[in-house]
Amino acid sequence: MNSVGLEEVLAWLREAAARIEEQKEYLTQLDSAIGDADHGINMNRGFKAALERLEANPPEDIAAALKSVAMALIGKVGGASGPLYGTMFMEMAKAIDGKERLEAADVAAAFRAGIDGIKARGKAEEGDKTMIDALEPAYAALQEAVASGAGVGEAIAAAADAAARGMEATIPLVARKGRASYLGERSAGHQDPGATSSHLLLAAAAEAWGS
Amino acid sequence: MRAERIGGSLVGIVVVSHSAKLAEGVVELARQMGGGDVALAAAGGIDDPESPIGTDAFAIKEAIESVWSDDGVLVLMDLGSAIMNAETALEFLEPPADASRVLLCEAPLVEGTVAAVATAGIGASLSEVAAEARAGLTPKIEHLAPAEAAESEATPEVARGRSIVLRVGNPLGLHLRPASRLVETVGRFDAEVRIANRTTGSDPVPARSLARVSALGVRQGHEIEVWAAGPDADAALSAISDLAADDFGDRDLPAAPPPPKAETPAVEPRSEGTVVGVGASPGVAVGPARYLRRPALEVPTGPPADPEADRQRLRQAIDAVRADIESQREQVLARAGEAEADIFTAHLLILDDEHLIGSALERIGPSTGAAEAWQAATEAVADDFRRLEDPYQAQRADDVEAVGRQVLARLLGVDPRPRMEAPGVLVADDLTPGETATLDPEMVQAIVTAAGAPTSHSAILARGLGVPAVVAAGPLEVEEGTPLLVDGTAGSVVIDPPPEQVAEARRRAEEDARRLEEARSRAAAPAVTTDGVAIEVAANIGSVEDARAAVEAGADGVGLLRTEFLYLNRTTPPSEEEQEETYRQIAEALGGRPLVLRTLDVGGDKPLPFLPRPPEQNPFLGVRGLRLGLAEPELLMSQVRAALRVAATHPVRIMFPMVSVLSEWEQVRTMVGEAAEQIGGLPDGLQIGVMVEVPSLALAADRFAAVVDFFSIGTNDLTQYTLAAERGNPELANLADALHPSVLSLIDRTCRAAAEHGRWVGVCGEAAGDPLAVPILVGLGVTELSMSPVAIAQVKDVVRRIDASDARRLAASALEMTSAEAVRQAAAAFLGT
Ligand SMILES: Nc1ncnc2c1ncn2[C@@H]1O[C@H](COP(=O)(O)OP(=O)(O)O)[C@@H](O)[C@H]1O
Ligand SMILES: [Mg+2]
Repeated sequence: MNSVGLEEVLAWLREAAARIEEQKEYLTQLDSAIGDADHGINMNRGFKAALERLEANPPEDIAAALKSVAMALIGKVGGASGPLYGTMFMEMAKAIDGKERLEAADVAAAFRAGIDGIKARGKAEEGDKTMIDALEPAYAALQEAVASGAGVGEAIAAAADAAARGMEATIPLVARKGRASYLGERSAGHQDPGATSSHLLLAAAAEAWGS
Repeated sequence: MRAERIGGSLVGIVVVSHSAKLAEGVVELARQMGGGDVALAAAGGIDDPESPIGTDAFAIKEAIESVWSDDGVLVLMDLGSAIMNAETALEFLEPPADASRVLLCEAPLVEGTVAAVATAGIGASLSEVAAEARAGLTPKIEHLAPAEAAESEATPEVARGRSIVLRVGNPLGLHLRPASRLVETVGRFDAEVRIANRTTGSDPVPARSLARVSALGVRQGHEIEVWAAGPDADAALSAISDLAADDFGDRDLPAAPPPPKAETPAVEPRSEGTVVGVGASPGVAVGPARYLRRPALEVPTGPPADPEADRQRLRQAIDAVRADIESQREQVLARAGEAEADIFTAHLLILDDEHLIGSALERIGPSTGAAEAWQAATEAVADDFRRLEDPYQAQRADDVEAVGRQVLARLLGVDPRPRMEAPGVLVADDLTPGETATLDPEMVQAIVTAAGAPTSHSAILARGLGVPAVVAAGPLEVEEGTPLLVDGTAGSVVIDPPPEQVAEARRRAEEDARRLEEARSRAAAPAVTTDGVAIEVAANIGSVEDARAAVEAGADGVGLLRTEFLYLNRTTPPSEEEQEETYRQIAEALGGRPLVLRTLDVGGDKPLPFLPRPPEQNPFLGVRGLRLGLAEPELLMSQVRAALRVAATHPVRIMFPMVSVLSEWEQVRTMVGEAAEQIGGLPDGLQIGVMVEVPSLALAADRFAAVVDFFSIGTNDLTQYTLAAERGNPELANLADALHPSVLSLIDRTCRAAAEHGRWVGVCGEAAGDPLAVPILVGLGVTELSMSPVAIAQVKDVVRRIDASDARRLAASALEMTSAEAVRQAAAAFLGT
């Protein structure tokens, strides 16, 4: 796929919601090790609400779809990931506002804006054992693929792979942001739930936009 | 959903928590602790019955909007997503809500919210509310880890809770009586109150310990800082500031008498002739010398049978003495009134002092019994007092010892009361209040003590009993029964006096009493010199009650209304309406008598909390008085407008303090013009004048006389600035005298310039109430004298006795003299005293 339109974006969001529902227990279990055992519940609640919103008010364009998701996440997730992902979707919406279709470069630009939004809100950096640790390597890979002339599908697949590695790399880290930071050294040895959900979102996109 | 704002212009508060129950619980808790008018909303939990824990940005948004206030909204949050969701909420706020006026505050949720609500309730600003919220943990820290809290140098000032700075106006500083009132007041509130002497830079001490508070060595003019935390913090602070405004209940005491002679060198006991001491209670009495016999107290040493039983005995003894003092207190209350009985309250507080009792109980052990421990503990506290530089504070050691003796006597099973065998003049080294209280007034004709001071409790009590007293008379060695003539007015004791002297003393005492009585009865009548010059004898006041008291005391008007009381000890400036209302009440209390209103006169030495100013090297030569008014024109304009509104219907005159050059006058005159325009014109016949405090103004009086309506000489500051001598410095007492010819010459210059332009000159410094200064000032041409209300009757009496043209000659010769001392002698000769 060389570019994605509203249909593809909606397909991605449905895929993401499905995977999150599927992985709800797993995410919650990860959060129970170093958090408050609600990340899967939170994310599932948020994405369910997002889908309901999209169905109730079919969006006119990609930006409207992303905004709708942002509002649902902000309003419904309830945990830290709500304002964080909410901000990410909101910033992505702004970055591609007015566009009918997104080229790989547009996707990269939107993704960059989204990550910057998360960082501005959560003040986490790479290595703090958060979703940033999955998202930053994913962006780097996406950017590299775009630079080498890859299409959207190929580029997003590279990003999802990088996110998976980033997610796994959070295991030995000591959390410096979020609830897990209250555990200090004891947070090491567990995979970060937020990094895991970030990977899920990218993997869903790779699935939806692959081929 | 948008709730109506309930809170006038109070800061709104939002509590954000993952748990709806917690958020609502915190709101409920904060509500209980006051701040009923504060708009407060909870935003807790999320809308998911199965998993209700979480935070919701939109719920937070709505909560902020529901408590919206243009003064801002403070948001307190629990953790993690609460913070991020609150931040997110700000992005969605809809007008009039405005994110720039919302403060997400890092304060602890429960304590912070409680503190914030309490502070918001008094109309504090958003940043003040936030500061209080941040300091919310302090009481808990101090309770659970007081040592660490005290040690930690880093504890920020605000962490002690809210604080106010007060200037102590009591002539004697915070000696035992006012200190005990302070401790008593604090005790009425559920608040952790600490107090420090800013002037000496002391560390804060708990305000519940009388010993600790007294040991701060607070003297007149010192600044104290009082911190309060806890549910009643605000109420406690405001009660304390009221108490301070009332000079801690010491209002009735006259200005500071000369300090007692420090360390009277060993004097030979006197057995004949005339002994001069200090008059401590006026009047004359003759009677046989009588001594009090105090029982000796032998303190046993060595191990007690059972330390725990001894602790119990000590507690019982303290309780018994407390009961004794309470009943003495009742007696004195009935006999001499509240003021005198306060001393016993102070003694009761010593018995309640945790510091003293605790250290005594601790000392009791296997090798130390109750009596020995108690004696050591009281001595240690008394020594602390004795080490204080301030002679008045040092005297408080005697109070501790007196109470200590009573408890000791109880422990030893001895009746501690001294006895007088028969009626006569009581002669003693010094008396404790307890001893004085057990005296039979029928027996005591007069009191003479070797030690003590006019402020000693025995002196105060003697005044209450209405018997003459002479203190600090040095040791007397006379046989019991030797006749003594005690002149409490002159401060002398004549041993075995000849009958003529007795008759003369009696005559003088009667004369004095008659004169004072007569002066009082004519206090309200005008004061006119024998040759017909009318002098307006007015009062200096600082409150509405003062205005009423001034009229009672016979004031012809108010020559100086100090408006600072409206500004001090508060966190926001008074509103224009509040000022107007207060001025109007004062003018009404004066019933048509003239009122000279001095605009705000503060400076770097007493900064206003709502008007932070850079610290100054020398505040007395800094931005004070009108200088501050010109630097903060809004503050001054608002005051002028309030004064002008009242002046439209009452004889109000406006006076500006600390004017030094003509351009300042021109600026302020323009401001008055503008203010008048804003309120619809200058009231007819309004007089606007300047206070003469700075020599540069007096030297340019002819220029000013052309443009001002009147002058009022602030002799206190004029003297300090002319002679470069601070009034409070005892070493400079003879320099800082308003009757110094150099000061008189500036007054003369002012009066001449005023006369040429048909302006009047008043004096509102202390000199106005000084009988010796009256003929000089009147002779120089002053026609208004404004003073503390207590001096009015006497000053009117002096005015009525003098001839103005004689006074002019006296003043002219005073200008030629070279010292204040010489002027005083001439004035005394003139008045024939
Ligand atoms: N300040 C932050 N910046 C970036 N990510 C964060 C931050 N705080 C938490 N996270 C991410 O959010 C995840 C937890 O999400 P969730 O369980 O929904 O929120 P909560 O911690 O409030 O229960 C963490 O695993 C982490 O990846
Ligand atoms: Mg969680």
